[in-house]
Amino acid sequence: MEMQEQLSSLLSKASAELQPIRTRPELESLKARYVGPNGEFTALMKQMGSVAKELRPAMGKLINESKAKLQALLDERLRFVEEAELAAKLGPAIDPTLPSPDPGPGTFHPLTLVREEVCRVLRKVGFVVADGPEVETEFYCFDALNTPPEHPARDPQDTFYFPPAARFGNVSRHTPGERYLLRTHTSSVQVRTMLKGQPPIRIVSPGRVYRRDTSDASHSANFHQVECLYVDKNVTVRDLKALLDYLFEALMGPGTKTRFRPHYFGYTEPSFEVDLSAKHLPKVNKEWIEIGGCGIVDPEVFKSVGYDPEVWSGYAFGMGIERLAMTLYGIDDIRVFYQNDLRLLRQFTGSI
Amino acid sequence: MKISLNWIWNYVALDEPVEELTRAITFLGFEVEHVSVTGAPALEKVVVGQVLTRDKHPNADKLSVCTVDIGPAGGVKTIVCGAQNYKVGDRVPVALPGAVLPGDFTIKQSKIRGQLSDGMMCSAKELGMGADQGGLLILEGQPQLGTPINEVLPPGDTVFDVEITPNRPDCLSHLGLARELSAWFRRGLCYPPEKFLGDLTGAPTSTLFNGVQVDQPSDCPLYTAHVVAGVKVGPSPAWMQERLRAVGLRPINNIVDVGNYVMLEYGQPLHAFDAKKIAGGRLVVRHAFEGEKITTLDNKERTLSSKTLVIADSEKPLVVAGVMGGLNSGVDETTTTIVLECAIFKASSVRWTSRSLGLSSDSSYRYERGVDPHTALEAARRAVDLIIETAGGTVVGPLAIVGGDVPWEREITVTSTFVEERLGFPVPAPEMRASLEALELRIARENPVGQAGVEWVVSVPSWRNDLDRPIDLVEEILRIYGTERIPAARVEAIGTSAEDDPLVVFNRRAVSYLVGHDFHECVNLTLRPGAEITTWVSNTAAAELALANPFVEDQSHLRPTLVMGLLDTLLLNQSRGVAAGRLCEAGRIFVEYNGHNYEGASVAFVIAEDPSRHWRRREPSDFYTVKHHLAAVAAAAGVDLEGEPAEPVSGPGFGWQEGHSVGVAAKDNSWIARFGLVNLAMLRARGIEGSVLAGTFTIRPELLGQAAARRRFRDFSLFPSALRDLALVVDSSARAGEVEGSVAEAAAAAAGSQFSVESVKVFDVYQGKGLPEGKKSLAFSLVFRSPSRTLTDDEVNGVLVAIQERIEKTTAYQIRK
Repeated sequence: MEMQEQLSSLLSKASAELQPIRTRPELESLKARYVGPNGEFTALMKQMGSVAKELRPAMGKLINESKAKLQALLDERLRFVEEAELAAKLGPAIDPTLPSPDPGPGTFHPLTLVREEVCRVLRKVGFVVADGPEVETEFYCFDALNTPPEHPARDPQDTFYFPPAARFGNVSRHTPGERYLLRTHTSSVQVRTMLKGQPPIRIVSPGRVYRRDTSDASHSANFHQVECLYVDKNVTVRDLKALLDYLFEALMGPGTKTRFRPHYFGYTEPSFEVDLSAKHLPKVNKEWIEIGGCGIVDPEVFKSVGYDPEVWSGYAFGMGIERLAMTLYGIDDIRVFYQNDLRLLRQFTGSI
Repeated sequence: MKISLNWIWNYVALDEPVEELTRAITFLGFEVEHVSVTGAPALEKVVVGQVLTRDKHPNADKLSVCTVDIGPAGGVKTIVCGAQNYKVGDRVPVALPGAVLPGDFTIKQSKIRGQLSDGMMCSAKELGMGADQGGLLILEGQPQLGTPINEVLPPGDTVFDVEITPNRPDCLSHLGLARELSAWFRRGLCYPPEKFLGDLTGAPTSTLFNGVQVDQPSDCPLYTAHVVAGVKVGPSPAWMQERLRAVGLRPINNIVDVGNYVMLEYGQPLHAFDAKKIAGGRLVVRHAFEGEKITTLDNKERTLSSKTLVIADSEKPLVVAGVMGGLNSGVDETTTTIVLECAIFKASSVRWTSRSLGLSSDSSYRYERGVDPHTALEAARRAVDLIIETAGGTVVGPLAIVGGDVPWEREITVTSTFVEERLGFPVPAPEMRASLEALELRIARENPVGQAGVEWVVSVPSWRNDLDRPIDLVEEILRIYGTERIPAARVEAIGTSAEDDPLVVFNRRAVSYLVGHDFHECVNLTLRPGAEITTWVSNTAAAELALANPFVEDQSHLRPTLVMGLLDTLLLNQSRGVAAGRLCEAGRIFVEYNGHNYEGASVAFVIAEDPSRHWRRREPSDFYTVKHHLAAVAAAAGVDLEGEPAEPVSGPGFGWQEGHSVGVAAKDNSWIARFGLVNLAMLRARGIEGSVLAGTFTIRPELLGQAAARRRFRDFSLFPSALRDLALVVDSSARAGEVEGSVAEAAAAAAGSQFSVESVKVFDVYQGKGLPEGKKSLAFSLVFRSPSRTLTDDEVNGVLVAIQERIEKTTAYQIRK
């Protein structure tokens, strides 16, 4: 029974020695001291050879039981050590109120948000987004849009031109020797789109345009426009009014009204200025604010792109994106859009 | 253009309130920019009085004690007055106790410095009639004593400041706008009476004037000159002065004022010459001689060119035709015979002259937009009538009319069906017809067409040069019908099955990616200062990208990169104490290549050192951060940045830091990427603190939107992989990508067809202790895998040895043991 006692005392001793163990190396060295090749438990097992034959089954059972107990003790301590290690690795509990040290979030520019919103609203009623060059020629910017040769808009006082020698490799000219200029409206995209294909056409063309003008709270050397063009059979004034009612109600909410005032543009006949009544918006302190221009496409425009005006009719509408953004957001100085003060940009964490 | 309501009343009876008239003008298509009301308001207990005596106030130096007779309204009153501009016998407005003057000022009997005052004598300002004119309002023409003041004072006026669109020069006149209003309110239009007091039958011929010679008939299709002898130059009548003042013109004298009055009435500019100042008595309409000089009425000497049309006498130019008269021939107090010019000058000629001299006038404004030649003689006769009425005199010969009446026969055929088709809603045919007729568009014929349609042949009056086609009449009908009556409708949406433009799609993708990676999208101006491009790009680019006519010096060139604008944004935020780290922009830039400029779609971003402190440090961004994001931007355009070699930025480029930036481009430059560290000297020159990383990707828009081939699935092995590491010692200048290429090549060759080399990837770069000078170690991780079995250690080790042998044999790299 000496063996039995030895086993029992060895287990007690192991159990006691395991208590203060906190780390894996300590555990490993302890384990070696007991069950390693020169371990105390290993040594006891080796004594089995000297045990009397008849006692061997009982003794073997005893040893196996003790071995299992010892293993259980070691396993239990291993779990403890592992947990301690994990806790050390994780560190103290997080403070959820600390700010993230990462930058962000990123923001779209307010002009992008407005542009994309207009495009999204119009896409729902069948418009697709078209694009064209910002450097243009007189044909696409003026001639094809029924702008008389003497029209003041063509004057170098109002429009930026390039020197006659300038060549633009990827801006096609309609006639050789045409002067290059910076487009004064995105209507040039309408001309290019019509020249590329046949009706029906339903496009929205947002983009940057240029006017040779003093910069102040409401003017900038470049600004952005968005225009719509619809060409089909039997397009009417009523259709045009319906589109603008839909567009502005979608942009500014229910209760938004539009009205047409007759006006004059060379590329539309009849032509209208569009006023908006949206008194629920902040900083809109007038009953009606002018928001854009529109009209029924002038037959001359169709002729210059090779469409038969007897067959096709259409409407066009255009407005300034800055002006719309200023109305929507209550901004009263156009220059803030181009300064990109992050205190402005961070206010517009929207998606497009 | 300023429109006086009193004046309009001459031609059309309108009793609507001002708001209603404003609305009418607006919906007729003329924006009302401003409405102002002039004249005295209705005043009770203010009457005409006459100063009988005026004595110094015993207790005040600047006051007088007057007796004032107000006749039947109350006899003689004693009034203390502080004004100085009147004398005994003057008739003045007297406000009696109980009167309420503008500003809620109630007049009471009071004592002023101990002297009783029984009312107040009034100035124009106190009566609410505009500015102070230095004392009491002295009433001219001996009005009856005691008359209520409103019966004596001119009635007030309402002046509309109206924007006339360029297609409607006929409305640059009171008659023109009256015609529009008569159509809107369906009221009759009453033209000015034409008496033509200048009947020439039996009239003598002037000795001072003998006719007109037009040398440039194409620039001057019609020239008429009436001669009026025996005029007496003096002030024009009060009613005319008042009209002119109301619309912002200063009265000069009766002759000049009549000219202006008729211009504002008919829209036809006129000019009066003093006949005795016309040398040789003959007017010549000719081009100026190059360098010829004239001093215009605004007292400035003008040098004329050979394209300037002038009216000259035998010696000198007298008038810049259609623009402004000369000081040398104008009407003055000594004038007794005038020659009245009423002419038509070609719009483009006047526009050119006005622009080239930088001189614009009411006259040139009208000629530039177009004056109706058929109204010219009528306007001339009206002016002659008014001159004789206001300045006396008689018409004498010769009457000069050079150039013909421009033929005018314009008929437009339009059907009610066409109008409804364009409008999209029904309007009764009689209402259409009435709208046209209200605008004096005469219906020459009316025929029924089809089921219910009507066809009209519409005769267009000469002043409506803007009406040519049926669609033009649709606008006229709609204007008078009222645009506010366009009925609401639903949008009929029919898809056109087209796609958004590829450029739009690219921008949306690229910017969404960057915003999703914490960048702030910015918008900067396209035009940049030339000096910046000369310094940081190239002289060639600066020459090619210049505008012909910049407006301001610092916006003279197209931008060749978006980075400059983003640096401006960094600087602005820095200077305002706002932390700015990650910025991006999408927009057009312009690059010069092989003698041509190309408009490119560009997306760029910058990453500045984050100046703000954080409670936990993050690994700062570096070149490889930029490379990662730019590759994603390029991928949005369908471009693989790894597809072309990265080269150090050299030659024409924009301020990049050598050794820390590269460029990658398509062989024909159709797309260009540049990324890395922005040139530090340039940042310092701009005053930007710290270093800035940047990336730009630019592509010609026409390259976008090429549909990529549909992807096909490649099967992959489900057997385990075998990993081996391989370290090589290479020259420190060697590029990892090239070494990796050699390793991959050797590995593929060594593995042969036995199994595949799945990947070769650098995982460590080391330079320093343990390695020779000028060398570095690159460690690669190699992944092997077979599609059909589990690889054994032996076969993989065998291949690794083969790889090492091959590298040692074919390259200068050494195996690091």
